Amino acid sequence: MIRSRLKFSPQNLRIFGLIVVLICVLLFFATQIHNYLNKDLFIRVSTSVAIMALIAIGQTLVILTRNIDLSVGSVVGFSAFFLGGLLARNPNINPLLVVLAGVGFGSLFGMLNGLLVAYANVPSIIVTLGTMALYRSSLVQFSGAKSISTASLPAWLVSLPRMNMISIGGYDVRVTFVITLVVMLLAHFALTRLRAGRHFYAVGSNPAAARFAGINVNRTVFLAFTLSGALAGLTGFLFLARFGNITVVAGLGFELKSVASAVVGGVNIFGGSGSVIGAFLGAILVDVLDTSLVRWEVISEFWREAVLGALILLSVTADTLLSRKLLAISLKKTKSTPKQMAAFEDSLTTRKGL
Amino acid sequence: MTSSALEIRDISKNFGAVKALSHFTMALKPGEIHGLVGENGAGKSTLIKIMTGVYQPTSGEIIVNNTPITFKNTQDARDLGIVAIYQEPMVFPDLDVIENIFISDKKSGALVNKRKMRSDAQTLMERLGLSFDLERDARSLTLAEQQTVEIARALSMDAKVIVMDEPTASLSAHEARQLRNIAKTLKAEGVAVVYISHRLEEVFEIADRVTVLRDGQFISTRDIGDVTTDSLISEMVGREVGEFFARVPNKARDNVRLRVSNLAREGVFENISFDLRAGEILCMAGLIGARRTDVALSIFGIAPATSGEIDVAGKKVNIQTPRQAMKLGIAYVSEDRRKFGLLLPMPIFANTSLATLDKYISSWGFLKRQAELSMAETFRQRLNIRAPSVTTNVADLSGGNQQKVMLAKWLNMQPGILIFDEPTRGIDVGAKAEVHKIIHDFAAEGGSVLLISSDLPEVLALADRILVMREGRQMGIFDGGSSTQLSIMNYATGQNIAHEVA
Repeated sequence: MIRSRLKFSPQNLRIFGLIVVLICVLLFFATQIHNYLNKDLFIRVSTSVAIMALIAIGQTLVILTRNIDLSVGSVVGFSAFFLGGLLARNPNINPLLVVLAGVGFGSLFGMLNGLLVAYANVPSIIVTLGTMALYRSSLVQFSGAKSISTASLPAWLVSLPRMNMISIGGYDVRVTFVITLVVMLLAHFALTRLRAGRHFYAVGSNPAAARFAGINVNRTVFLAFTLSGALAGLTGFLFLARFGNITVVAGLGFELKSVASAVVGGVNIFGGSGSVIGAFLGAILVDVLDTSLVRWEVISEFWREAVLGALILLSVTADTLLSRKLLAISLKKTKSTPKQMAAFEDSLTTRKGL
Repeated sequence: MTSSALEIRDISKNFGAVKALSHFTMALKPGEIHGLVGENGAGKSTLIKIMTGVYQPTSGEIIVNNTPITFKNTQDARDLGIVAIYQEPMVFPDLDVIENIFISDKKSGALVNKRKMRSDAQTLMERLGLSFDLERDARSLTLAEQQTVEIARALSMDAKVIVMDEPTASLSAHEARQLRNIAKTLKAEGVAVVYISHRLEEVFEIADRVTVLRDGQFISTRDIGDVTTDSLISEMVGREVGEFFARVPNKARDNVRLRVSNLAREGVFENISFDLRAGEILCMAGLIGARRTDVALSIFGIAPATSGEIDVAGKKVNIQTPRQAMKLGIAYVSEDRRKFGLLLPMPIFANTSLATLDKYISSWGFLKRQAELSMAETFRQRLNIRAPSVTTNVADLSGGNQQKVMLAKWLNMQPGILIFDEPTRGIDVGAKAEVHKIIHDFAAEGGSVLLISSDLPEVLALADRILVMREGRQMGIFDGGSSTQLSIMNYATGQNIAHEVA
């Protein structure tokens, strides 16, 4: 009985809802755009999601703890540029070492954010707004405002984005997509099955209660930022591989897109609830809308961003209303009426006196 | 006698099946200070909220200037000059005193005339017999000064009735005296002041008449000259201690599990000393503001003590964090379950395992989901938590069931020492009896209970011994069996200091 209930938890319903919305969007554009649902769309979306979903996962970890990380875009850019420079100078360096360097540098950036937020108690939106600019400027300084070009990169890296893991009937599943998929599954597993994962949710739901239960709230927040930085560092590597030509604006705007992906994916912006699977699906949805709107002739280029914004708002609003409705239905089965009780309790708890 | 400033006639207020106020009648004369006294939960707050338009009565009439009135909201009440001032003042911390006083001023139109406001504020303060810098931000004012700002605001709106709800509860003796003087000034100006206080000596000092409220019902209104402290207290607590609160003594064992000696936190509480044995329930009784919760928080490591000693099982310990306290087998069930207790958006099972996640970690470091769920399920049945399943979110439960989830969280730790802070506040009578049973069972199995409760019948029913606190000081420890509500109340209000009972 417990197991069957788990399957219909609000979180799972939300993911189910997202898949329904995604299918609807795909079907809608199929009627609007000639030759829409094909291999190309799959490949295009999956390669670009491989990058966006990765930082959306990191962003989700941070948002779960009631924080936000606006510096991820700059970390992606820095990591891509740094690794590009490294490879240009030492083309024979071990690929694994390159990945590790990216993750390591990203973690350091994340740690600085985490230190300031968790231990210096500065609001995360301010800290990461500051470090976003700081990391970006140090990238400009570090690069001397020069660009990295594909020509200077080793062949294995340049061919990585087009490398297939498997191909099913012409549907190529890229290695990069699989990497992101694996990261997502690992993150999902960690959040649901590790103690530290539970602490993320507890801290985001009620930091005071978490503290009263003996949880180290600061350490949890610090860890979230470190992981977000690490994932942004890894994203930088994939970004370098995919685009090859890197300028100082690499990763610009990724911070907001990652937040959008997480929120569309049902991650509560006030912390405490959401899942990385949701964020992953959110990244797919945002990307599908993005690529499809480019091809939809009804919408002029000027209106594309507006339509994208409106669709994001729509999907989040629909999701919120829908899950509230579903909750109300499932509650009807129980006797208690929480609202009434809350009002009554309020009247009791505010009684002071003898 | 002139006509009433405010009259409430036959007012009842129900919350669902609960009658918070029933057929209550009271009249306020202009230029009087009217004391209002009653136990916790007697319905004083409901009464104030009806007078000031926060709640609408289920039945009955409110009469102002001989005309029946309905208040749709607090603004309606304010327009007729009825204002309440609470223990926690409502000021805007970033605005200065002048801006705070005239924040809801409508007379002067859209343009702010700072100079006129300034001189008006000065006049108001002089009327109240006060002088302080009007250009300071409200943030920098003391609680007492913030209250006077609120009173000045009320006066600026020509208040006819000012309700003061426990205004001196958090004030120092000097500040409290000043506030009582302000109340007298208001009276002299013809304002009707409703003065709610648990400090009976204050009521005797300034009130002209006093009304007693008990269990939502009117008990009496008398001239202050016709009552004594004893007659007031016995009217306040006069109910028969019902069958819900049958007293069951516990079997305290010999070994002292927790010894607290001369514990103090500077400026908060001092000289707290007691022993807590295995299988014993020690209650901390006292009024709001007696600092009982602060003692508990220092034992649990949230706000560590600054001096004194704590021994657990005969060993001196130094507790600086909740985690250290938990390692020593100390658990603390907070009085504010929404703020400090529960993860409302999360399911029951995640809440019950929150403090004990270590128990559900496999040797590989993974959470044992199934074990976690079945533990929660066991508690759901044992504590009779009414929820469709343990995956239901805690936000969707009633108050009593939320309370049980919080108890389950700490019971699962199997602590040696369990501190319950107001464990039955705001839950219905049925759930209350269940919580009492849980506390009893815990003690019967050899657990040590430190229970903070402001509910005297509850204290008398559960306690083996009672530690009474007043304003951060320990007034004495008394035997639970031979104490009465009257005797505890006398110590808690400071009426009785000299002769100890046990």
